[in-house]
Amino acid sequence: MKGLVQKWGAIVLGLALWELAVVSRAVDPGFLPAVHTIAAALWDLVTAGEVWTNLFATTYRALIGLAAGTAVGVLVGMLMATSRAANGFFGPLVAMTYSLPKASLVPLFMLWFGIGDLTNILSVLLATLLPVVVSTYHGVKAVPQVLLWSAQAMGSSRARILTRVLLPASMLHILTGTRIALGFSWVLTISAEMIAAKTGIGKLIFFYGESGAYAYMFAGIIAIVAVAYAADRAMVWVIRDALHWEDSADAADAAGAG
Amino acid sequence: MEAAANAAMRSGLALWRAAKFMYPIALVVLLWALVAGAGWVRPLFLPSPLAVARQFWPLLADGEVVTPLLVSLYRAFGGLVIALAIGATAGLAMARMRWVRWGVDPLVSFAFPAPKIAFMPIFILWFGIDDVSKILMVAFTCVFPIIVATYHGATAVSKIVVWSAQAMGTSEQALMRRIILPATLPFIFSGVRVTVPVALITAYTAEMVAGGGGLGSALMYAQRFFQTPSVFLYIFLMLLSGVLLDQVMLAARSWLIPWQIEEEA
Repeated sequence: MKGLVQKWGAIVLGLALWELAVVSRAVDPGFLPAVHTIAAALWDLVTAGEVWTNLFATTYRALIGLAAGTAVGVLVGMLMATSRAANGFFGPLVAMTYSLPKASLVPLFMLWFGIGDLTNILSVLLATLLPVVVSTYHGVKAVPQVLLWSAQAMGSSRARILTRVLLPASMLHILTGTRIALGFSWVLTISAEMIAAKTGIGKLIFFYGESGAYAYMFAGIIAIVAVAYAADRAMVWVIRDALHWEDSADAADAAGAG
Repeated sequence: MEAAANAAMRSGLALWRAAKFMYPIALVVLLWALVAGAGWVRPLFLPSPLAVARQFWPLLADGEVVTPLLVSLYRAFGGLVIALAIGATAGLAMARMRWVRWGVDPLVSFAFPAPKIAFMPIFILWFGIDDVSKILMVAFTCVFPIIVATYHGATAVSKIVVWSAQAMGTSEQALMRRIILPATLPFIFSGVRVTVPVALITAYTAEMVAGGGGLGSALMYAQRFFQTPSVFLYIFLMLLSGVLLDQVMLAARSWLIPWQIEEEA
């Protein structure tokens, strides 16, 4: 109970002040809709179903892109960590493209593939790829040499060492990277939808903003932020649950997404 | 004699390192040139590297390189400075004052994983589509990692040091200035270094979404008129600006906090 008050007290207080400021007309409601108006708009969106198809389109793009980016990222990261030639090749490419805003590729993909899911998913793939590559690489590099030697001494094949030793031992690093990538996947999907899309919550929010339905705009933003927050919590839960044997699994909670 | 030989060897080594770093990039460009040259795809979709490079001078002469770049950098840095001022203050205050922690902590824990770009329409509504909305969007995106890094650093200061200082009658103000701030500085710097690319990316993305000048809207403009070589060129400029800024930050760190050499990735 005390924890609940501590956690939510400040938020409730903040919302109350916001509501008071708007209702008392200290702040123009055309500028900042009152809390109760936004709540009504949110209720309307949720019950009328307008928000669901768009939320679904956005979530679908973000998660498919994330899955593809993670799969490729784990593969490339493993390769880099176990082969010097692969490291020599991919290392510079990763270093060069790490700070490129992946959203800048959206216009190019639009040119190539038109406006739609493919453009969106591809840009999410590229954005989520790099954090997974880097964390997989570090994870595999951090596997104690003793484990490798033991496996080799007992005659395990290279493929078996890869799947039975290196992959599980670096899982915490990989999942921590995936959590960061999960954050990127929302940002990229929403940005791409705001730049050009026919569906998606990013498009919907922008549409409400342009047509002056500000309460609905705020409600849409709350909806997508809530979905992203739930996805992040689910990810933390998966990390803890899948890796309960790992002492540092709790530490993954400290690392976060941007 | 020996010194000269050493110097020659060192420059040879540096050259070798550079060649080793550049070869995959050269390979990718070569592949690109081959695909573009083979004529499988129309130049409208994939111009040759040469065509992209050739586009540079006309764009530069028209003032469509330097001005947009400076506009974007100004927005990214303006936002970063605001985020640093607010974030470092909030992080330090959270570490030292319980009521600040009570107020800010829930906000941070909700906002940290949120996709901040979703708030862009609010910033447009409040501050228009010019500099201010983009600068504040960047600040909003960057402030949370800096708060977290600062708070983390300030709470990591050894309790024994703090207690010793307090036992010797150090005031809260002096404690902050002489002990907590210096000990937290490397953490704040790490936070800033992580957020520099974020600031740049946010500025570019906000420009692509909302227009209003800068490299981001120049890129969108070029795409809308199918000026594909310019599209590629602007993407490269964004890439280069990120890489160069990271080098600047590395140099700044060894100059600002030489006693703290972080483990390099």
